[in-house]
Amino acid sequence: MRDPYLPSTVEIVNVKRQTVDVKTYKVRFAKDQEKRKFPVMPGQFIMISIPGLGEAPFSLSALPEKTDTFDTTIRTVGNVTSVLNRYGVGARLGVRGPYGRPWPVKEAKEKNVLLIAGGIGLAPLRPVIKTIQKNRRSYGDFEILYGARTPSDQLFTDEYEEWRRTPRTSLSLTVDSVPTGVAWPHKTGVVTGLFDDMETSPENSMVMTCGPEIMMKFVVRGLLARNFQKNQIYVSLERRMRCGMGHCGHCQIGGRFVCRDGPVFTYSELEGLPDLAL
Amino acid sequence: MKPAIVMKKDLNDFVSELRDEFLILGPRKKRSQHVFSGIDDVQDLDLDYLTTILPPKKLFFPPKDTVLLFDGIGEPVSAPLEKKKQLVFGIHSCDLNGLLLLDKVFQKDISYPRYIERRKNATIIALTCTKVGDTCFCDSMGTGPAPIEGFDILLTDLGNRFLVETATAEGRRLAAKMKTIEAKDSDLKLKTSLVSETKMKFRKKVNTKGLAETLARRLDHPIWKQLGEKDLACAQCVMSCPTCFCMDIRDQWENAPGETSRCVEWDACFLLEFAEVALGGNFRKDRGARLRQFMGHNLSWGGSAQYGPVSGQHKCVGCGRCIRVCPVGIDITEVAKEIGGN
Repeated sequence: MRDPYLPSTVEIVNVKRQTVDVKTYKVRFAKDQEKRKFPVMPGQFIMISIPGLGEAPFSLSALPEKTDTFDTTIRTVGNVTSVLNRYGVGARLGVRGPYGRPWPVKEAKEKNVLLIAGGIGLAPLRPVIKTIQKNRRSYGDFEILYGARTPSDQLFTDEYEEWRRTPRTSLSLTVDSVPTGVAWPHKTGVVTGLFDDMETSPENSMVMTCGPEIMMKFVVRGLLARNFQKNQIYVSLERRMRCGMGHCGHCQIGGRFVCRDGPVFTYSELEGLPDLAL
Repeated sequence: MKPAIVMKKDLNDFVSELRDEFLILGPRKKRSQHVFSGIDDVQDLDLDYLTTILPPKKLFFPPKDTVLLFDGIGEPVSAPLEKKKQLVFGIHSCDLNGLLLLDKVFQKDISYPRYIERRKNATIIALTCTKVGDTCFCDSMGTGPAPIEGFDILLTDLGNRFLVETATAEGRRLAAKMKTIEAKDSDLKLKTSLVSETKMKFRKKVNTKGLAETLARRLDHPIWKQLGEKDLACAQCVMSCPTCFCMDIRDQWENAPGETSRCVEWDACFLLEFAEVALGGNFRKDRGARLRQFMGHNLSWGGSAQYGPVSGQHKCVGCGRCIRVCPVGIDITEVAKEIGGN
């Protein structure tokens, strides 16, 4: 049996700057046999490690489909990410995973899908967007609401036109603030400010949301006020994770492990648990 | 094998004989207390003890365990594991139940191979408790005083002799090496009456009926705020708990090539950084919330709720160590009383 604590080695094949502190790394498994053992679903996460420094959990922003590479979009906030920030093409990293419960992309088939993302929370939802684009006929109407701090904090901006061109797909943007002199034809304010113009109704729909927990709290409240049911709202939670495999205990919320039982939960599964901002 | 009797004076020969095959571990005296430690001299084995400082969990899940080594160019390899079989003497029922729960924790979905390997390589000689410590409450938690499962051999102190019961093929193989005679009915009856007598001696009690549900329903109970102000967040309770499994994984960077390693180390939900995420977010900033996590995990949402049926249902096995070590006198049985079951 392979040691589940032993990372596989990947090599960075491309680095793309998204914002001032966010980059997307495209990586490829160094050994052929490890590529084949990476069945990953949208919303699952991996542990990236740098020898001597440690490991941290990250979501995938693009899955290995036709190619043998995958993307992870990372904001520079801590030890591991600060070192990663200095890495370029050819650098090697350790990767374990994938772990966790994915977004309900199968369950969402034949339904209208509403995605609500805040900041870096768009990264783990990007594979959902790709999945729906690729299997467009399998899903109903598709609506994306995205909020960022400022226009220059938005991720994947070069893909928005393509998303909008996808049949029966809409993308609405908002930012908290617009620096003087910057043109901004969209809304300003928090992401729930987009709810009044939202087209998705509770009937035959599924909501997936990812962003700061405080944002998701207001998203959930706003949706419940619009008669969405608790079990049709899926959130992806962030917690400290050391192992990703249900051993280290860090990510526990009550008796739930975010790494194993989540990170994607329906809101009804989380109700009544301690230590949630939601 | 039928229950047997071994005279206490003959147990030493048995232990000596097993030394080639096993690394022998058991309770031995350390100043005024006891610890589980290697037994080089049979005379050091002291089966007449109340509670060890740390539970035998440390033999399978050590406080610090190197899991990976990085070679000269940073390629990771699994760290080697000691191969010698361990024979652990004198585990009490609470601690044994602790190990049975950890067995589930470390092999649910994905296993923690180092723990599992060590457990597979260990033979357990458990001990029926006939003495009760001031802080013991296994009886309330359904985890003692008499071990029911999880051992190879069970010993019960009947005065000048031990009753020997076996539960596995390995236990029968080893018990055959003891100088035993067949136990009489009166010996078995004596065990039963000793266990009943022991059950009468518990001073600490927990009413577990409805406790898990009440605790989970009353997350806003004032006790968390009250005790949170008193609590030092020193985490000694967690460090001494037979079922706390939280760990950190950290790299130990060494200047010399090929010496950098990745270690698993015990961690504790009582510590401020435990639930911290990127950018300084922390979901359990208050000490009261951290205390609630420890108590809630032990009395409500751990154990069976998290891992399926375990004998005691709860994560807490009633060993009483957290009460003994708490510098400010926080007592899990008092917390349970305050929250109240049905």
